[in-house]
Amino acid sequence: MDFSFFLSQLISGLTMATLLFLVASGLTLIFGVANVFNFAHGSFYMVGAYLGYQFIGVWQFNFWLGLIVAGLGAGILGILAESLFLRRIYGRSEEGGFQILLTYCFILLIDDLVKIVWGTEYKSISRPPGFTGAVQFAGVTIPSYNLAIIVIGLLVVFLSWWVLMKTRPGRITRAFAVDREILGVLGVNVPLTMTLVFGIATGLGGMTGALAAPLRSVTPGAGIEVIIDSLIVVVLGGMGNFWGAWLGALLLGEVNAFAVAFVPKWATLFSYLVMVVTLIFKPEGLFAPRKVRKI
Amino acid sequence: MEQVRNYRTGILWGLLAVIFGLVPVFMTSTYQLILASHIIVWGMFAVAFNLLFGMTGMLSFGQALYYGLGAYFVGLMVNYLGSGWFLPGMLLGILASAVLSFLLGLLIIRVHGVFFTMLTLAFAQLVWQITFKWYEFTGGDDGVQGIMAPGILGDQIVYFYFTLVLCLLSIWVMKRLAYSPLGLVLRCVRQNPERVRFLGKRVRRNRLRVYMVSSVFAALAGGLMAGVDNSIHTDMLYWTTSGEVILMSVLGGIHQFFGPFIGAAAIILIEDVVGAYTEYWAAIIGGVMLIMVIAFPKGIVGEVQRIKSRFAGSESRRV
Amino acid sequence: MLRHKTWTLVVLAFFALVVLPGVVSAADEKVVRIGAMYPMTGRAGLYGLDSVAAAEMAVDEVNAKGGAAGYKLDIVFTDSKAKPAYAVRVAKRYITEDDVHFLFGVVSSGVGLAVTEVSKQYKTIFIGTDHASTRLTADSLQPYYFRVSNNTFQSMAAGALYLKEIKASKPWETIAFIGPDYAYGHSQWNELRFCLDRFGVEYKVVGEYWPKIFAPDYTPYITSIINDKPDILVAGFWGGDTVAFIKQAKPYGLFDKMLYFHPDAGGNYELMSAMGDELPLGLVLSARHHDNWPDTAQNQAFVAEFKKRTGRYPTYAAEGAYAGIYAIANAVEKVGNPDDTEALVKALEGIKMQLPEDPEGFTSYIDPDTHQVVQMQAIGVTVENKDFPPATRMLDHWKIYKAEDIMPPKGYTEAKSTK
Repeated sequence: MDFSFFLSQLISGLTMATLLFLVASGLTLIFGVANVFNFAHGSFYMVGAYLGYQFIGVWQFNFWLGLIVAGLGAGILGILAESLFLRRIYGRSEEGGFQILLTYCFILLIDDLVKIVWGTEYKSISRPPGFTGAVQFAGVTIPSYNLAIIVIGLLVVFLSWWVLMKTRPGRITRAFAVDREILGVLGVNVPLTMTLVFGIATGLGGMTGALAAPLRSVTPGAGIEVIIDSLIVVVLGGMGNFWGAWLGALLLGEVNAFAVAFVPKWATLFSYLVMVVTLIFKPEGLFAPRKVRKI
Repeated sequence: MEQVRNYRTGILWGLLAVIFGLVPVFMTSTYQLILASHIIVWGMFAVAFNLLFGMTGMLSFGQALYYGLGAYFVGLMVNYLGSGWFLPGMLLGILASAVLSFLLGLLIIRVHGVFFTMLTLAFAQLVWQITFKWYEFTGGDDGVQGIMAPGILGDQIVYFYFTLVLCLLSIWVMKRLAYSPLGLVLRCVRQNPERVRFLGKRVRRNRLRVYMVSSVFAALAGGLMAGVDNSIHTDMLYWTTSGEVILMSVLGGIHQFFGPFIGAAAIILIEDVVGAYTEYWAAIIGGVMLIMVIAFPKGIVGEVQRIKSRFAGSESRRV
Repeated sequence: MLRHKTWTLVVLAFFALVVLPGVVSAADEKVVRIGAMYPMTGRAGLYGLDSVAAAEMAVDEVNAKGGAAGYKLDIVFTDSKAKPAYAVRVAKRYITEDDVHFLFGVVSSGVGLAVTEVSKQYKTIFIGTDHASTRLTADSLQPYYFRVSNNTFQSMAAGALYLKEIKASKPWETIAFIGPDYAYGHSQWNELRFCLDRFGVEYKVVGEYWPKIFAPDYTPYITSIINDKPDILVAGFWGGDTVAFIKQAKPYGLFDKMLYFHPDAGGNYELMSAMGDELPLGLVLSARHHDNWPDTAQNQAFVAEFKKRTGRYPTYAAEGAYAGIYAIANAVEKVGNPDDTEALVKALEGIKMQLPEDPEGFTSYIDPDTHQVVQMQAIGVTVENKDFPPATRMLDHWKIYKAEDIMPPKGYTEAKSTK
């Protein structure tokens, strides 16, 4: 294997990993902060993709503006879902089962909603002007839009780090994951924070949907297909661990990219194998926060 | 008091046996037989799932693994070795599930809560992916068709009674188990594992046992289903199957022994009735379940009992 | 005590609601009852809904002309959810409650194989309209099954002939394959190689890739394929996967480096409509029906009427369902009633249907031996064409393959092509 092929597989894996991470980050954020397992996260991703199509493809918005609007739309839907329904089951015994049941209802409802609004035909968005081609680097072709996605992924990682570590809302969010009740006593509006975090996470999912739309097809059922992969990422990184999700996505993306190059016949097995092997040795994930080790 | 309860549960069991036992007599079409078979088998599967979830709080998102294993043992053995292997296949599937659940159990019982859920999902998906990929042997996404039970079992009505008897028997066994000392320990474990450990009970071993029991009955359900549908498919191993059985249990009520069974019946009936009339079944089923979850947190059976006890309460006050 | 009675009544009423409608609806009018199953949600939902619209269109046409042998066609649809176990339940409901004369439809081969088993058990004719697995008309063929759309073997045989022909004008040697990792993908690749060998074409395989179906990301596959440097890339995707692959491969210049060849589902209209200007020119694609070929009055009328009804142009699934209704109508016309199943089977064997996809001078017919429809196959190249918006590319420069040349050889089974 020559160096340029190695490099191009590496970058392919990186593109894949970035999109995986962007979907999974919302999932892990909700889990880490609100302890909610949002099975419908993929549906918000799909809604974002359709909104992106509506704003960018139909109403001719500027591409980058369209991304933000699509994210906002999905986020608002998320806020509605949390404040109208999800909040009512917090604290029930066996909450896990109810979370799956309720978010599964969201999947069913959003699927039909999308079908009623946009029909079943495949939609798509073109890449933004200036990002349709590719750049050449050391004999490797890198599509400029893929490069943009990688940069956006890094931006999100950096921005999240800054918000979580350096700002007051970030500190509240982190504290939230540790002890909700104390924060309530300290005068933080707990329900509002939960709703906002849920909105931000689903908004991130929606924006990713729109961001990925120029590379994928916007179809009904698109949400189901991303959820399992992002679950693997979240589990690999340690549920609720933001940085873990990033590293988990990198691991998965690169393993996949090189499995395709060396053992194409068995490549699809590798995502599950990586997860199973990891979990056998580290059941809490690679980068689990220490607090889950109790009991 | 004890006698009254025995008498009452006796009636319940009799009713269950009679209602389903009479289906072949009063049915107007074999579709009703199929529907009844699906309710019985899924109902038993859901009860088995809930033995784990309702009693120990361990939410497995991978029971499809054992359900599918049971079905594939029957299906593949009949396919490659002839229909005489139907019952041995079922037995071997159950044995294989016991072994696999023991080995996997050792690995995954170590973790709790959502980590347990994710591990079960991971293993089930791995097996699904292998079955899906290995299509020369398993038939992959095409599945295997024409799985017929041999001899007299090949008759639909006989097979229906075979299914009914096995499922009721399984449910009875599970119920005995749930109210046995083991069940009691497990319920205590759910509430306070530390204290149970102090009492000298082995938490992990008991958890492993119940995980195995639940898995073995899931395999039996899968094996029976292969004969009901006369076909098997990778869907049976997919996470949606694990998800469906969770939905049935939660909808029916996880803290009532028969809740999952009723939940299974409700979901299957709703699915068929709504599915027959509209293509927007997803929104309707989603909406109905949403209301159920929000308004009736105890599930169907739980809520019915609540209402009943309220009536009973007011009655006794009157007297 | 009263409370118990009320509860019992409620339960009884519920069961009555569930069970009775089927019993009551068996009417004694002169109708041909058809029970159709199509996916109407998810990825395959577009194919399902297109099939539903086209089947309704054909039913209306037949009924407007007075029905078949005086019988009106009556078709009901249920969402199969693309789940075999559920579809089996629906099929049994159709047969034993609604007394349908024909089972109809199905997009996924897995569901098709499960339903054909029911059809065999209950001796009810099953008209398959849009599933491609060759197994249904080879290994798993049973007397009551008929398929009115091409199977993968026919597409691949035409594809092999195409590859043989272009060797003269554009010599090629190496070939690579990418397709979804399930039976549909694998049988395409097996059948293509089987046919290439059969037609005596020399080739060297330099890569085989099996992404999972509905995979969102193909970039690692694309860079790896480019590294293999094949002359021809054969693709076996369907639906949204084709869209995603082409979109991701385009900036890498993959389509300038090799010939993209996609003979089974690549030329389906939804690809053109979804991709618009982004669809590269010069791809070699085909499908089981084309909106712009053949240029006959019947095809134009079919496409225009479909567009009028639904507001969109049809995918190939539509024409399959349309063909299925005509197969039923013609068979009932020939037999004189829809109740004599054995006579209908005899009638369907060899039945002729003039279909939108039939060019001048050819009529589709069902092969009596395999119960498989025999049709022409046209393979084309993407060119600019704005006649079918939102698509801006359509196929042209057709190469046409005679129906008889692309049928599987006698006694063909899936196993024979497996290497």
